Amino acid sequence: MLNKSFQFVRVAGSTLVLTIVLASAAHAETTDALQGDSGQSARGVKAWANNCASCHNLRPAKELRDDQWRVVVSHMRVRADLTGQEARDILKFLQENN
Amino acid sequence: MQYLTNKTLPLAAAISGIIALSSSAYADSESQSLQSEVQMLRKEVAELRALIKEQSSAQEEVKNLRNEVKATSHAQSEWTNADSTFHLSGYAAAGYTDRKQSGGSAFNVASFNPIFNFLYRDIVLAEAELEVATAADGSTETKLEYGSIDIFLNDYATLVAGKFLSPLGHFRQNAHPAWINKFPSLPPGFGEDQAAPAAEVGLGVRGGYPFGQDMKMKYALYAGNGPELEVDAGEIHGIKSDGFARDVDRRKVLGGRVSLVPLPKFEIGLSGASGGVGLANEPDRSYRAIGTDIGYQWKNLDLRAEYISQKVGDQEASAAPLGGTWKAWYGQAAYRFLPSKWEGVLRYGKYESPRDSQRQKQWAVGVNYLWGPSVMAKLGYEFNRGLAGQEADANRWLLQLAYGF
Repeated sequence: MLNKSFQFVRVAGSTLVLTIVLASAAHAETTDALQGDSGQSARGVKAWANNCASCHNLRPAKELRDDQWRVVVSHMRVRADLTGQEARDILKFLQENN
Repeated sequence: MQYLTNKTLPLAAAISGIIALSSSAYADSESQSLQSEVQMLRKEVAELRALIKEQSSAQEEVKNLRNEVKATSHAQSEWTNADSTFHLSGYAAAGYTDRKQSGGSAFNVASFNPIFNFLYRDIVLAEAELEVATAADGSTETKLEYGSIDIFLNDYATLVAGKFLSPLGHFRQNAHPAWINKFPSLPPGFGEDQAAPAAEVGLGVRGGYPFGQDMKMKYALYAGNGPELEVDAGEIHGIKSDGFARDVDRRKVLGGRVSLVPLPKFEIGLSGASGGVGLANEPDRSYRAIGTDIGYQWKNLDLRAEYISQKVGDQEASAAPLGGTWKAWYGQAAYRFLPSKWEGVLRYGKYESPRDSQRQKQWAVGVNYLWGPSVMAKLGYEFNRGLAGQEADANRWLLQLAYGF
């Protein structure tokens, strides 16, 4: 019974990956439209507060320079499973307020 | 006629003389006026020359300033626009543990964990964390916590290859750094070789996918070499899951975590893994891991709970034939007394192991003082219940300084 459950987990996992990769292509147009719009910084502050604070105390924008935030946000994109758009929004907010 | 001539000649001569004299005077005056005009013009020309000279030197100055601004702007944009860039972050901790009941109090924590990050455009990130710590005997322990190459495939998927923190559960991969962990110690069962897997060597894909305005799904799936067993005197003492660059049981472990964020600051996750584990030169045995975690932040309150278990199957042909299940869970509440710099923490945890001496129940209460978001002092007290006479049964005070940089 347990083996069957894990078999299901494996199949479900593979399906999930495939779905995400395929869905991302369909989502690309929307993402392109969102990339550099005027609301980016406003979305960024929201994403920063919601995602970063769910694990640790919020680190203020002034702690680092623009180039440092670029690397740190990429690191956190992996660590916190941020979407690419969330990472860009957060980076924009941090770079505008440091 | 003669009369006229005699009368007019002197007159004419006189008139001529007057005219000659007056024209001579006029000529002199005109010459002077012209000379003064020439002098004025010369002066004006000299002034104009000086002005032109001044202007051209000002233009030169402007040109130089423009070049300087251009160079400064270029130097500035080099930092932000370079294709390849680097950043060093990390954390450090120092601590004291008072465990009079088990006979030893000591300054027993001195660790430094640098994290190296190299980014090439928005394509690839190479990241590595080292743990450099002082051991009880004074030697220096160095460990690669993780070292991976992460390729951003698209907005929703990142390929992770190398050694990475185990994606199973939340605490080990997200909350273990000293400046993030709210309490000076790890929850029971979440330490080294206990119930929660620490790291894995392999390949994985992870990311997040938004649903509507505030909902989101996160996932992390992987295939790796899996853990190994720690065996002594015919018994399994623990599951070593620090990540191995070998696979002694020759059977890979597949696993992952899927979580849902239905509301901002609320996340619920499920983890599972399956594969083989064993000892060198022995047949492999089954390995299963399962877990769930939940986290919620509301104003100054931070709530978190997690359950994780690892099960190892029996193997008659092994030096340690009996398998077992190692499981642990904890619940934690932390509250920031804003606007002050104080934070209170309460945690309950339980660790169950096939070995009686490892079992532990724990209430932990602590208070933290934060000089900054990542600089803090943590004081805590653990009420521990374990097998009588064992270390797991001893209450203890803990003091820790932590700095995330």
